[in-house]
Amino acid sequence: MRLEKCFFCSSNVYPGHGMMFVRNDSKIFRFCRSKCHRNFKLKRNPRKVRWTKAFRRTAGKDMTIDSTLEFEKRRNIPVRYDRDLMATTLKAMKRIKEIKARRESVFYRQRMAHKHAQEKAENQKLVDDMVDLADIPAEEIQQAMRLPEVSGGQRQNAMETA
Amino acid sequence: MSSYYNFKKIQVIPGSEDLLNIILSKIQRKTPTVIHPGYKISRIREFYMRKIKFAQDCFDEKLDHITGEFPKLDEIHPFYADLMNVLYDRDHYKLALGQISKAKHLIDSVAKDYTRLVKFGDSLYRCKQLKVAALGRMATIIKRQKDSLTYLEQVRQHLARLPSIDPNTRTLLVCGYPNVGKSSFMNKLTRADVDVQPYAFTTKSLFVGHMDYKYLRWQLIDTPGILDHPLEDRNTIEMQSVTALAHLRACVLFFIDLSEECGFSIDAQLNLYNTIKPLFAGKPTVMVVNKIDKKRMEDLDAPTRERIEAMLARDGVTLAQQSCYTDEGVIAVRDTACDLLIAARADMKLRSHRVQDVLNKLHVAQPQARDDVARPAFVPEAALERQRAAKEMVRDPDTGELVPLKRSMTLARDVEAEHGGAGVYNVNLKDRYLLANDDWKQDIIPELMDGKNIADFIDPDIAERLAALEEEEERLIAEGFYDDNTPDLTPAELETRARAKIIRDKKALARAAHSSLATMPRMELHGRLDPRPERITRRLNTLPILARRLAAKGKDLPATAQLMRSVSQGGWRAAAEDPAYARKPSEVMKMRRLEGDQKNRQLMGLAPGKAQYNQAIKEVRFTQRGPNLMAKRGESDRHIMTKMPKHLFSGKRTIGKTDRR
Ligand SMILES: Nc1nc2c(ncn2[C@@H]2O[C@H](COP(=O)(O)OP(=O)(O)OP(=O)(O)O)[C@@H](O)[C@H]2O)c(=O)[nH]1
Ligand SMILES: [Mg+2]
Repeated sequence: MRLEKCFFCSSNVYPGHGMMFVRNDSKIFRFCRSKCHRNFKLKRNPRKVRWTKAFRRTAGKDMTIDSTLEFEKRRNIPVRYDRDLMATTLKAMKRIKEIKARRESVFYRQRMAHKHAQEKAENQKLVDDMVDLADIPAEEIQQAMRLPEVSGGQRQNAMETA
Repeated sequence: MSSYYNFKKIQVIPGSEDLLNIILSKIQRKTPTVIHPGYKISRIREFYMRKIKFAQDCFDEKLDHITGEFPKLDEIHPFYADLMNVLYDRDHYKLALGQISKAKHLIDSVAKDYTRLVKFGDSLYRCKQLKVAALGRMATIIKRQKDSLTYLEQVRQHLARLPSIDPNTRTLLVCGYPNVGKSSFMNKLTRADVDVQPYAFTTKSLFVGHMDYKYLRWQLIDTPGILDHPLEDRNTIEMQSVTALAHLRACVLFFIDLSEECGFSIDAQLNLYNTIKPLFAGKPTVMVVNKIDKKRMEDLDAPTRERIEAMLARDGVTLAQQSCYTDEGVIAVRDTACDLLIAARADMKLRSHRVQDVLNKLHVAQPQARDDVARPAFVPEAALERQRAAKEMVRDPDTGELVPLKRSMTLARDVEAEHGGAGVYNVNLKDRYLLANDDWKQDIIPELMDGKNIADFIDPDIAERLAALEEEEERLIAEGFYDDNTPDLTPAELETRARAKIIRDKKALARAAHSSLATMPRMELHGRLDPRPERITRRLNTLPILARRLAAKGKDLPATAQLMRSVSQGGWRAAAEDPAYARKPSEVMKMRRLEGDQKNRQLMGLAPGKAQYNQAIKEVRFTQRGPNLMAKRGESDRHIMTKMPKHLFSGKRTIGKTDRR
């Protein structure tokens, strides 16, 4: 028993879930859910569909180069069971997971670094433009919104009166 | 080799009438048929000569074929030659073939004569008469061969049914008096399925069967029974046996029936043996006593038995006993006979000059002795023990009785029986695992953890790799890789962020309030002419409405006015700072209207104000009514749609749809 990866979105396919398509050249495609299967049937390229892992990897949104990623590999050479090895492996898996999570958070932080200035500017603009909005009580906003919208001419009138 | 003596391939010999018909129609088909008296005489002669020559060729071919296909008695194996002599009479056979080739020559000479005559034919009529005469004479010659042809056809049919005996292979030849059980023996050993009946001369011809012994293919020949009388008196059936005995270099199994159940006395059978003994010369011979279920050699009275034994001893013949009923001794008979034959053949090969050639090539290599140490084969004690145990019985030391030896090891079968037998017991395959430590065998091996396959991480040197990773981790920490060096926000920035959040929330609130409004017809709601996206409209409208609403309440919010201006004029701060923007609102409005009108092509060229525009709209609507009804895209749309869409007018209508199929 093993967890397979969805061909389309690269999520886990648990035993008994999803579906498997075997093409007539005997290549196997597994899908985690009908959504992925449907997208596959539409001949979509998972690298171009934004919600897939493949997209995130190619678009540089996920960490792809790291030594923690070298540990998980599909191995085709079977290794005889060894209790000690199994124990070390389980421990190692936990530790690798930890380290990987930390590195991923750093990766995300670096990816978002240039956003801070932008965010500041946006905040400033919003505050500058709509200062008064912050002070108006919520009920009044709701009430005002129930008035019909104004036309261009009416708006001009409003401006002139103001 | 055996296929060499396969006479099944001879083609059917047509009767004389058929042969004629075949050839005449062939002439008709394959030679020109149109000739006129007016043609040049050379052409006419040519035409008829061709017919005659063609007829000759056809006859030649057919007759040659017949004579060529039948085996020549001088060329085939003497056994077959003799057998054919016995069955079809050598003279008759040769005569028939001779006649056929004679007929061929006659036809040749007829054709030769008549072509010569046609050369001198002076008219079409004469040439034609000569051709008719030639074909007529040929036909007569063939008709005279009627008997030969029918005889040859019969021979062909019989030949095709002859067993394909290979005279040179390993052969066991079964012979003896009729009714002694020869065919029964044959059926025991092979799948020949020879007829077995309780009367004499059941078998009337030779039969072949095949069997395997010592990984070799053996041929068994069942012969018809032979009676004891001089050769001249023998009939065709017996003669076949004699032929086989005379010519095949085989192992002879002479069957006798001591019980005399076959209807012939022992004396008669022994006499026969003596009579045909010359035929066994140089062949391994076994005297097979059959039907020992009735009477054995040991049951015979002493004088007869001694006589037989003396005879056997004199001729060096082996004795074997068997019964086809009880199967006793059948295999033993086969084995003795086959072994004798193998020995005889090997002996003969050794005596032939060819063996020397082979012997010259043979060399048996012997390893040279390294030292004087004796190295006998070593059989472990346990293996010997097991061998001994395999011999079921052993003498009990206490009682002195023979008892089955207890099995030295428990088998899987025993384990199964112990644990509830088949269907209950489950073989634990884990017991057979080959692991470094036997304690691990029954471990439950985890497969998945934290959404990962553990197998993907199993790696004999994972410990080293993990250590390397930890080292790297330490290095990275030391290098400050994990440090968060995003600059901290100043209190002012924090303040802005908090306010921005509040504004965003309010905006969201406004949006939610708006979208929860009951939708009104679009025209009523907006009252706008320029189709700007609704999203923008809403954003622009939100605050002015708010301002009006608040102003109506008598609240004084100077920021609102500024805000509105900023919305409509592109930034209130710009307006405040840049004097160019500090225009009177009415002026600004005028500019804006002009700008807007230039951009909106629907309003272009119309007088300011609503009246003319409304009129224009009305008229446009009216002119578009027709095309709209016809679902046209506009004036320029002249497309003619399919008038009878196939999918709406084809296919059967069952219950249900007539308009959609
Ligand atoms: N009691 C007994 N009868 C046998 C045995 N073998 C053959 N018979 C019987 O003997 C009779 C003749 O057997 P066949 O095998 O036809 O004898 P055959 O020698 O082939 O006879 P022909 O073909 O006429 O020469 C049959 O009724 C068999 O049932 C035997 O071992 N014991
Ligand atoms: Mg018989």
